[in-house]
Amino acid sequence: MLRSILNRLLGMIVVMALVVTIVFVIVRVTPGDPAAVMLGPDASAADIAALRSRLGLDGSIAEQFGRYVLGVVQGDFGQSIFLNEPVTTALAQRAEPTFFLTVFSLLIATAIALPVGILAAYKRGSIFDQATTTVAMFAASVPSFWLGLLFIQFFAVRLGWFDTSGYGGPDASFAVRLNHLVLPALALGLVSSALITRFTRASMLDVLNDDYVRTARSKGMSEWRVVLKHAFKNALIPIITVIGLTAALLISGAVVTETVFGLPGVGSLVVSAVLRRDYPVIQGALLVIAGLYVLVNFAIDMLYLVVDPRVRY
Amino acid sequence: MKRFVKIAASLAALVLSATGTALAEPAKGGVVDVATIGEPPTLDPMASTADLVGIVTQHIYETLYTFDKDWGITPLLAADMPQISPDGLAYTIKLRTGVKFHDGSDMNSADVVASLQRWMKVATRGKQAAEVIAAVDAVDDNTVKITLKKRFAPLLALLSLNNAAAIIIPSENAKQDPLTSFVGTGPYMLKDRKPDQFIQLARFDGYKSRDGESNGYGGARKQYLDEIRFVPVPDANTRVEGAVAGQFAYVDALPVESFDKISSGKTAPVILKPFGWPVFVLNTKQGPNSDIRIRKAIQAALAPNDMLLAAFGSKDFFAADGALYPEGYAWHSDAGTEAYKPDGDTEAAAALVKEAGYDGKPLRILTSRQYEFHYKMAQVAAEYLKAAGFQVQLDVVEWATLTKNRTDPALWDIYITHSPFLPEPSLTGIMSDSSPGWWVSDRKHKVLDAFNAESDPAKRVQLFADVQKAVLDEVPAVKIGDFNALAAQAPTLKGVTPAPWPYFWNAYLEGK
Repeated sequence: MLRSILNRLLGMIVVMALVVTIVFVIVRVTPGDPAAVMLGPDASAADIAALRSRLGLDGSIAEQFGRYVLGVVQGDFGQSIFLNEPVTTALAQRAEPTFFLTVFSLLIATAIALPVGILAAYKRGSIFDQATTTVAMFAASVPSFWLGLLFIQFFAVRLGWFDTSGYGGPDASFAVRLNHLVLPALALGLVSSALITRFTRASMLDVLNDDYVRTARSKGMSEWRVVLKHAFKNALIPIITVIGLTAALLISGAVVTETVFGLPGVGSLVVSAVLRRDYPVIQGALLVIAGLYVLVNFAIDMLYLVVDPRVRY
Repeated sequence: MKRFVKIAASLAALVLSATGTALAEPAKGGVVDVATIGEPPTLDPMASTADLVGIVTQHIYETLYTFDKDWGITPLLAADMPQISPDGLAYTIKLRTGVKFHDGSDMNSADVVASLQRWMKVATRGKQAAEVIAAVDAVDDNTVKITLKKRFAPLLALLSLNNAAAIIIPSENAKQDPLTSFVGTGPYMLKDRKPDQFIQLARFDGYKSRDGESNGYGGARKQYLDEIRFVPVPDANTRVEGAVAGQFAYVDALPVESFDKISSGKTAPVILKPFGWPVFVLNTKQGPNSDIRIRKAIQAALAPNDMLLAAFGSKDFFAADGALYPEGYAWHSDAGTEAYKPDGDTEAAAALVKEAGYDGKPLRILTSRQYEFHYKMAQVAAEYLKAAGFQVQLDVVEWATLTKNRTDPALWDIYITHSPFLPEPSLTGIMSDSSPGWWVSDRKHKVLDAFNAESDPAKRVQLFADVQKAVLDEVPAVKIGDFNALAAQAPTLKGVTPAPWPYFWNAYLEGK
């Protein structure tokens, strides 16, 4: 058991090493130049070369990579080219909106998906089931940023309940800041709920026909206890998997939604960093996202142990 | 027609609000949120030529000179226009006294000398000036002298621009590169900045304004507003919705098709007419466009009216105009514009293509969808070029790639960009031998040197006609036309003059 966990951890390190390398190479191979972006459209070639050298971009790729890996191992992700601050500081500053956006979206998604999915499976073939399947199919096909724009139109512009974008001004309290997350969280949550609903329904259908469910019923157990306690618990493994993957997706996949809503989160940091070719920030942000992905997967595996006593590593 | 009436009405409203300012002194107070297209890459306006950097930082820092409403040069931190020696080589500049930096210290000639020296080292436009500047010296505490190696009329315009700007900062900060202390003499000072969230500027109580009336960027600068906050809203659709919802006092850079939408009541459209000019820059160094006949064929083949209509949707937002400066600018001239064909001349172009012995190698048009109108113009242009007998290849990349690739003459034949009408023509990209396109010719040097050496404004206007004629004859680039820009402004915000780099000193909130 301990041995297999250690093995998993070792595997995670290998994955991260691959991520560091691949991201570094892709970023450098992409044309475009942070120095040219920084100096603006009318800068001369000589200015750009001078700035490149100041930014440490003039050495060979291997040399730059060596320097970078040495830093990362020591927890130093480098200095942002544009923000004049360490990448870790920049990421920490953007963590709040992204973290709460992920949490809220996930809460909204599961709060909708679990009851609806269970009910749809329980009333299989009913109008409710068919409606759920159709709506879920539709919701899964809608891009969240587009839904976001519709929400802005309706809730922010027409009704005036929310600001259209941003994360509050200098004096915005925590509550005001969270208020700015309502619309993006709704958009992301609704779209993510579709997949979880479908998994919940399918997984519940599998177990609802099992023998032990019939046994539980014949013992005279109440219907909701049969469904929620006996059936749902056994249907949980695929549901946990899909919720975990959704969480990982939300951390990285909120990129477009954050840009549409003008949220200063990790996603919009990645977008602006890519457009400006802020190499250290792109690398740092992708590394952190990949790290969270790996950790979420690890956490899901560990949860299996708790949920299903038959699982052994 | 309906749209025209709306535009006329909004222009009229602007005129009325402008005259309204003169009647009663507005009350101080209020905070405005200004939506911008993104986060500026730096708050050091010496280090960048980006418009966004200039828009934000012109409130924090000031230059020795600036532009009045007619784009004439007017003193700002300088007390007066410079005394120029008879040989045109020495500029003696008296400084205003009692001007304070945001850190409380007094501005003096040592700060100006240190700042200008940093500008000549760091800023793109400063380096351009450094080639002709022999020395910058402090004469006394309140006087500096700039000595030139040769006559150079664009100097004052270079000192006046707000990007790659010759800002005056405290001498000890002038040693910083990159700049880390954002201290200037401007009417507003930096209070707080959260990247991608806001830049908060607060009124600088120690500000010393010029006396008299406000005049464009020059004259008196009033500090009615308590705070100006620049909020990055990178998504254009979200900017439109933010304007319609009335969330911002001012929203910059809106797509022209949102005109009807933003006439909703909580906000009103502001049209800056004309704002700038889209341009097809030709690679004169390498490839088919090193042949002037091919360049002339492209000039004849392109049909600006159709290209601009595709790009801007309505005649209210563009004009097909071959002159480098539209009517209303002192630099306007018709010299050479007969080569500009608003609807294209496919036959003439086809004849030129044949005469040049074009080898059928595709013309590579380098463009980006960062600015959708570039891409739309490229699509229409491609069809007209094909009709004239060219093979065409569209290379659509994103903006950062374009700015990199255009520096390599092997990678493109035409690239598309745009520019505001710069107050000093010699600052335009094609005028520099080293800017992408690499236009170099004896005729160019002859007309441009004459233009740059002349300091009498009236004579310079005449000399510029020769420069324009050379551009239209040798076709280092094809100016497609003039286009207007659209912004939105809350009805309560008054005192904002439409400008390519909008500024919010002199602005106030009605009912405050």
